[in-house]
Amino acid sequence: MKKVFVLILIASFIILSFKSSNDYQFVVPVKWPKPFYDFSKNNLSNKKIELGRALFYEPLLSRNNTISCSSCHSQFTAFTHIDHSLSHGIDDRIGKRNSPALMNLAWHNSLMWDGAINHLDMQALAPISNPDEMDEKIEHVVMKLQASKMYPSLFLNAFNDSIITGEHLLKSISQFLVTLVSSNSKYDSVMRQESDFTIQEKNGYKLFKTNCAECHTEPLFTNLKFEINGLPIDTILNDKGRMNVTHIPKDSLKFKVPTLRNIQFSYPYMHDGRFKKLSEVLTHYTEGFQGGVTLSPKLQKKIILSSNERVDLIAFLFTLTDRSFLFNKDYSYPKNIFFPKKKE
Amino acid sequence: MLITKQNNTTASLLTTSQSKQKICCGIIYSFILFFNLEIASAQNNITRSIIFQPYFGNDTLHLNDTLYQNGIALQIEAFKFYITGIELLKNERVVYTEKNSFHLLDVSEIKSLTIPITTPAKVKFDKIIFNLGIDSLTNVSGVYGGDLDPTKGMYWTWQNGYINFKLEGKSKVCNTQKNEFQFHVGGYQFPYNTIKSIVLAMNNKEIMTIRTDIKKLIEETDLSKQNQVMSPGAEALFLSEKMKNIFSIQ
Repeated sequence: MKKVFVLILIASFIILSFKSSNDYQFVVPVKWPKPFYDFSKNNLSNKKIELGRALFYEPLLSRNNTISCSSCHSQFTAFTHIDHSLSHGIDDRIGKRNSPALMNLAWHNSLMWDGAINHLDMQALAPISNPDEMDEKIEHVVMKLQASKMYPSLFLNAFNDSIITGEHLLKSISQFLVTLVSSNSKYDSVMRQESDFTIQEKNGYKLFKTNCAECHTEPLFTNLKFEINGLPIDTILNDKGRMNVTHIPKDSLKFKVPTLRNIQFSYPYMHDGRFKKLSEVLTHYTEGFQGGVTLSPKLQKKIILSSNERVDLIAFLFTLTDRSFLFNKDYSYPKNIFFPKKKE
Repeated sequence: MLITKQNNTTASLLTTSQSKQKICCGIIYSFILFFNLEIASAQNNITRSIIFQPYFGNDTLHLNDTLYQNGIALQIEAFKFYITGIELLKNERVVYTEKNSFHLLDVSEIKSLTIPITTPAKVKFDKIIFNLGIDSLTNVSGVYGGDLDPTKGMYWTWQNGYINFKLEGKSKVCNTQKNEFQFHVGGYQFPYNTIKSIVLAMNNKEIMTIRTDIKKLIEETDLSKQNQVMSPGAEALFLSEKMKNIFSIQ
């Protein structure tokens, strides 16, 4: 009897230790709010994250197997699409917006510039099916992955099931996306009292808090809300933003406030990428407002910045660059999965 | 048989005096007891069937058949809908709630039109309640599997959310490509929330047949004017109001 008891004990220890080696501990940075994403419904594991990472770089997600998520979300630019004001997808088709930078997504309660997607798990469905992006059907993606050489075993390892489902596909992509946490910029180290701002950065931080922080709220540098920032409508795109989703006229021209983290590398700026440089953005907020556009109440007070102050503010914005995020090997193309070393 | 066997085991185990072994016995005993209870409760349950029978007026609905509405020919090519949140009531009190109650019914797959539910055999009821469509909480809570898997073709991707029902077909009155009409009805946000609750009288039956007459919806719509509904909004809301009337008791 005693022997059985001891055996059960040993077995449960083995099971528990096995479980913990595969579990992934999501760390909420100090003083950050509680994440919006409900991890209890999608328990993080290293194997699922690895699968999600492979899928993020997988061109089979597109109709002609040429475009992956990373095509428009490149790590070195904070997971956005640079060089083009409007992102381009399959067959070089031009989309309607600039792809949003991806980071700290576990805290977002809606996605896309207009908040059309209400949950991270469902986000990937939008670019997969958009005719200008990947132009594919999720049912067909599942078929292609099932027929592939490597994915059935990756799904088996991650979910104990080699039959691929939409649920498992989307959950694993979410798992990879929530690990994209940027919280290690110079700004963060100053907040943790590990380093100091220069005089210029310090002054820029003060200007930021006075003029920008109401929408670009710390520590995420976005209030996650939809605001009208006074950009005149592009008459070719005719993009009404949030109103496309809610059908409420007062939501016309509202767009989701983007994070300012890693802004040094995530150009061009605004939902349609109309500004290439940060100086153009500052010009817009200081003197570019068009008459006739109903501005966010938070922008009613005129922002006045001297040329020195502009330089200081930009110096501060550069302290939001997080190189440990931009060059994190855990986020990069998973060469080991796509090109495993052959056993000799 | 099982109970006597179990008593023998526990009796022999209890003759030893060591406390650790007593604990072990306790665990084993409670396991055995638990399984006995499971078996006992399973014996008191019965499986009932809720069968949705598709009709077009007085005739059984067959996809792609030529049907007539006021002398005008039309065809139904696809008809899929979600039935969720099944409950049985007695004297306005809920006596049974189905767990994980999400069912995708597809007229092209006869098997999907029967929903088996397991209830206590004794339960008495006089009403059945279910929803046509997916509730808003499920719509905002991420991805699910089974009938809710987004690969089932009942999901909008550009502005995410479930399609509560799909009705597709052809009619000469539709001035569209191939004379097609397409109703993809969904939307979970106020004021365009299209989930509908349906209440039907139903007496203690083992096989509950629910007549699903699509003609009642077609009669209420003007296919020449309304033939493409594929996003949440006022038109979807209108169709969902009419759609809830297609269900009745045989």
